[in-house]
Amino acid sequence: MKPLEMVRTFMVENFLFGDDGTLREDTQFLENGIIDSTGVLELVGYLEKTFGIRVEDGEIAPDNLNSLKNICGYLERKLGAPKPA
Amino acid sequence: MTALVHDLLRVSAERYPDRIAVVCGNRRVPYSRLQQRATDLSERLVASGLAPGERVLVLLENSPEYLVTYFSVLRAGGVVVPVAHDANERGLGRIVADCTPSVVIGRGEQLRAREWTLGDAVSVRTIVDVDSMEFDRRRRGGGALRGAGRRPVDAETNQLALILYTSGTSGRPKGVMLTRRNLLSNAASIVEYLKLTYEDRVMVVLPFRYSYGNSLLTTHVLAGGCLVLENRFAFPNVVLDRMQEEEVTGFAGVPSTFAILLNRSSLRTRVFPALRYVTQAGGAMSPTLARELKEALPETDVFIMYGQTEAAPRLTYLEPAELLRRPGSIGKAIPGVRITLRDEEGIPVRPGEIGEIVAEGDNIMAGYWNSPQETAAVLKNGCLYTGDLGRADEDGFLYVVGRRSEMIKTGGHRISPKEMEHTLAAMPGVAEAAVVGVPDAILGQAIKVFIAPTVGKAVQAADVLRFCSENFEAFLVPKEIVFLDELPKSANGKVDRSALKGDPPA
Repeated sequence: MKPLEMVRTFMVENFLFGDDGTLREDTQFLENGIIDSTGVLELVGYLEKTFGIRVEDGEIAPDNLNSLKNICGYLERKLGAPKPA
Repeated sequence: MTALVHDLLRVSAERYPDRIAVVCGNRRVPYSRLQQRATDLSERLVASGLAPGERVLVLLENSPEYLVTYFSVLRAGGVVVPVAHDANERGLGRIVADCTPSVVIGRGEQLRAREWTLGDAVSVRTIVDVDSMEFDRRRRGGGALRGAGRRPVDAETNQLALILYTSGTSGRPKGVMLTRRNLLSNAASIVEYLKLTYEDRVMVVLPFRYSYGNSLLTTHVLAGGCLVLENRFAFPNVVLDRMQEEEVTGFAGVPSTFAILLNRSSLRTRVFPALRYVTQAGGAMSPTLARELKEALPETDVFIMYGQTEAAPRLTYLEPAELLRRPGSIGKAIPGVRITLRDEEGIPVRPGEIGEIVAEGDNIMAGYWNSPQETAAVLKNGCLYTGDLGRADEDGFLYVVGRRSEMIKTGGHRISPKEMEHTLAAMPGVAEAAVVGVPDAILGQAIKVFIAPTVGKAVQAADVLRFCSENFEAFLVPKEIVFLDELPKSANGKVDRSALKGDPPA
């Protein structure tokens, strides 16, 4: 499964109670009441565990995490970046 | 003191017409404009038939429109009933059925999405979209005739201003009735001890529909200060950016707000030269977290405060200078409030003893809407029985030791789980701890401890027992210790004790 589909499945199962009809790639999570502050932290935990990354505090930002599209862009940057020696 | 709540806005608009009352995104609304919009909406509400004492359901998130609506309804003599703009149908339906609003005010899509719930409610005559200022008349009747020519002001300060629904655990919603006097007296008292002036600018991340958020609104409008609204606390660094850009002088949060800021934001690496104070209320914050907060903001006063929605909401505060000297204290009664600690018969306890926190003052609610029995259980002779147990130190500083219903009685000893939890949380390798009483044939109740270890740390039951025997009296050493990855929490982030008592699988 591609990262987009994995994250979508996680969001739908955990925050939309299985109803995926409203979640588009550019749906803004916060503005649409999909997640709150603890929800964001759950999402961060999921991304760290599933993709083996460390989400820095400064990266917990709307540009990185507020939609499926933003998350995919963030994951691409994160996973594509060369690992520190 | 100003006699009427809506006068708070009128007076500040006269004194500071050009000062900014509210900032929201790119919008900056001066007092004069806010007052004008509130007056316009108020007159239209009266013209549409809103009679004094009628409830107005407000379905708005924090926004300039929330303030416009709030003051317009009060000016028209109505009662503001704020609910979450994204409330679910079931919760909303229960509140509508309980308070029978005649008017609903919301905006755009959020309003339309809930139209079937609201449109079906028999009591609702008018639905107002505050963006378009469209009035959708559903039913005839109400005070249309009374409205014509009636002055839109009712000078009775004991008149109801606000009903705040609290998240009761039982199925039925509990509406706390606050009068105009309640709101004014509490706002004036808070302005006094926080020394708020027209130069203060507070970052608001707490919803206005909660009593703590509501008090930010009333106090800053009273002082002529500025409310900087930011509804994206889920991304804490966005809020910190805004605090720096807007040079806010104040910030208000609940314990989880500060836990998130200290653990998942760049708070510690930033400086806030304008930030004069932060306030914490909305549940007990551990002294460890309070100390970390002070260390992160060394130049800022940290006010620990205590209250209840039923007290509009503030009851006590701790002077910032005492923060590190009296860890865990909620301080002393605010101006205009009297606090006593009483035993189960309602008699004041002796110094040093634990008793229920009982409060008197102009801020104590009128009761619970439609619930005389629940009201009688907490309001006695004008006093509010908070259900919280406290004790005072030799200088009169108060400490909350737990809820009356949560106290553990073991072998004749009365034990506060919260005090034990605070101590256990300081044990190396322990992230969180919870203490509950479980039935015991000999002791009545025995102490059971739940420990969530810090990630990557191994803590053994023997370590916990050793720590307990070193730090507690013998009767406090737990009979049982359970390790969990994480403690179960309720929706509002508090440890769910009832789930723990049900002994969840580790």
